[in-house]
Amino acid sequence: MGVNLRDLVPKTPARLKDLSGKSIAIDAYNALYQFLAIIRQPDGTPLKDSSGRVTSHLSGLLYRTCNLVEMGIKPIYVFDGVPPALKEVEIKRRMKVKREALVKYEQALKAGKVEEARMYAQATSRLKDYMAEDSKRLLKLMGIPWVQAPSEGEAQAAHLVKRGDADYCASQDYDSLLFGAPRLLRNVTISGRRKLPGKKIYIEVVPEIVELEHVLKECEITYEQIIDIGMLIGTDFNPEGIKGLGPKTALKLIREHGSLEKALPHIKNAEFPVELQRIREIFLHPKVKDNYKIEWREPDVEGVINFICRERDFSEDRVRKALEKMRRGAEELKGKTTLEKWFG
Amino acid sequence: MFKLKVADAKLLKDMATAISILIDEATFKIDPENLKLRAMDPSRVAMVDFEWPKTVFEEYTCTEPTKMCINISELLKLLRRAGKDEVVELSLDEKTGRLQIRITGKYTRNFTMPTLESSEEEVPTPKITFNVRAKATTEGLRQAIEDAQLVSDHVRIEADAEKLVFNAAGDLMSAIIELQKGSDTLLDLEAKEPSKATFGLSYLSEIIKAASATSDIATLEFSTDMPIKLDFQQTKEGKLTFYLAPRIETE
Repeated sequence: MGVNLRDLVPKTPARLKDLSGKSIAIDAYNALYQFLAIIRQPDGTPLKDSSGRVTSHLSGLLYRTCNLVEMGIKPIYVFDGVPPALKEVEIKRRMKVKREALVKYEQALKAGKVEEARMYAQATSRLKDYMAEDSKRLLKLMGIPWVQAPSEGEAQAAHLVKRGDADYCASQDYDSLLFGAPRLLRNVTISGRRKLPGKKIYIEVVPEIVELEHVLKECEITYEQIIDIGMLIGTDFNPEGIKGLGPKTALKLIREHGSLEKALPHIKNAEFPVELQRIREIFLHPKVKDNYKIEWREPDVEGVINFICRERDFSEDRVRKALEKMRRGAEELKGKTTLEKWFG
Repeated sequence: MFKLKVADAKLLKDMATAISILIDEATFKIDPENLKLRAMDPSRVAMVDFEWPKTVFEEYTCTEPTKMCINISELLKLLRRAGKDEVVELSLDEKTGRLQIRITGKYTRNFTMPTLESSEEEVPTPKITFNVRAKATTEGLRQAIEDAQLVSDHVRIEADAEKLVFNAAGDLMSAIIELQKGSDTLLDLEAKEPSKATFGLSYLSEIIKAASATSDIATLEFSTDMPIKLDFQQTKEGKLTFYLAPRIETE
């Protein structure tokens, strides 16, 4: 689920074209889950090829990436590795949610409730190993770099930004901030017109920029303190947090008492797992690696066509058009300079 | 505290339009002598440098230097309601932090709008040695840019001692537009050495279109593969200058 810092975080709306020339480390699993959830038929069935393999993730990855490159953005996808042992509870909880959603989805389908079926179907989205492999294969053919994180993708993405190898992290979750990412972009992989679940209402989703320094200044806290706030509300490593305690109260408590340890005695029925320091360590010193290569290359157009059109039944015409848009965007970016180069 | 009164709403409207093509949130500096703004567009390809001395205004009061940030397209919406020769008065309500816009003419309108947190960023002047300096009519430049836009997204501007050339090549079509020194369009041209640089046409066309409402004559300065400086001579005192970064062809 990620830590819910929404209410505390000041954000600035941005347009994709204003991010032209910027490199963005995208939390790949986060993006793929969104594609799997959103790219479905009206009754909730995902896109499939003629042999029944799901292709929603490839569709999202291809068209969204083409769209970003067309805008002059340089994407880098960061894939999750082995989750920290502490994430087990959260992973089990997610599995349970999905199992329950699957039952409800099938019930709704049987009852002919299409809208409802679609809603539950979105929650059943599972990212299978072959989907991640598919995605890496497609990215390689498209000439888009990807990085395999040793553990959490968001931690590695934050690391890329901290080292100056990417300008922004892109994820829907706020965890990147806890991992110390200086700049986070939200809504990058889903911007555009979106349907609200279960309603016939469409909203315009625009990308937004969140800056860690700005968040800390606005909340009058330190980086260590925002981790403590996250832990009070609940992170992937202690999904429950403190029951009934929301972001605003958490901020107030940490500001008043300084740290999680000092705040705990003041919270009624505060139960906290013994691993308090272990959770904190995941954010402060996450498992990341320095040996990765980031390089954008020309797409192998025929390779992409062979893979997703021949093997996965995508429309060749549409794919070629998308790749052509991508090529033009990359071409445009090549010659681009900014005035900063002449500020001396 | 400040109060700025402009006798002709059109002047203010045209100025705001020229600024709004590059930026959404404009941070103006108001001090006892002048009103200034210098900002880059979000993608940092273009920059606007604007200054109006107090003599441009019918009335100008500013007791201490102030920074004010506003959403320029929202301000424009209000200014568009003013007709030519109507008087516009801008002042800051210090209690509410809102900008007050008073338009008087056929009748009186009092608008207010919020001010925003102003940007702390100081934009420096690009350091460039210009080898070409050309003086042209803004109308002539507009036409040349419109010609080039028919065939491409960008244009190479070239100059030698005799002429200024706009060279545009698209996938299918191409265009070469020549302005001769001393013609009705190209009033003056100095080239220390032949130079050429390529620029995005959407930026150029928007800048020239918006600025030509405020100005009849522009001075272009550039060098090979360097930013171009476009200075639009103002009918009253004041300065409206744009810088645009080049596209550098690698092959």
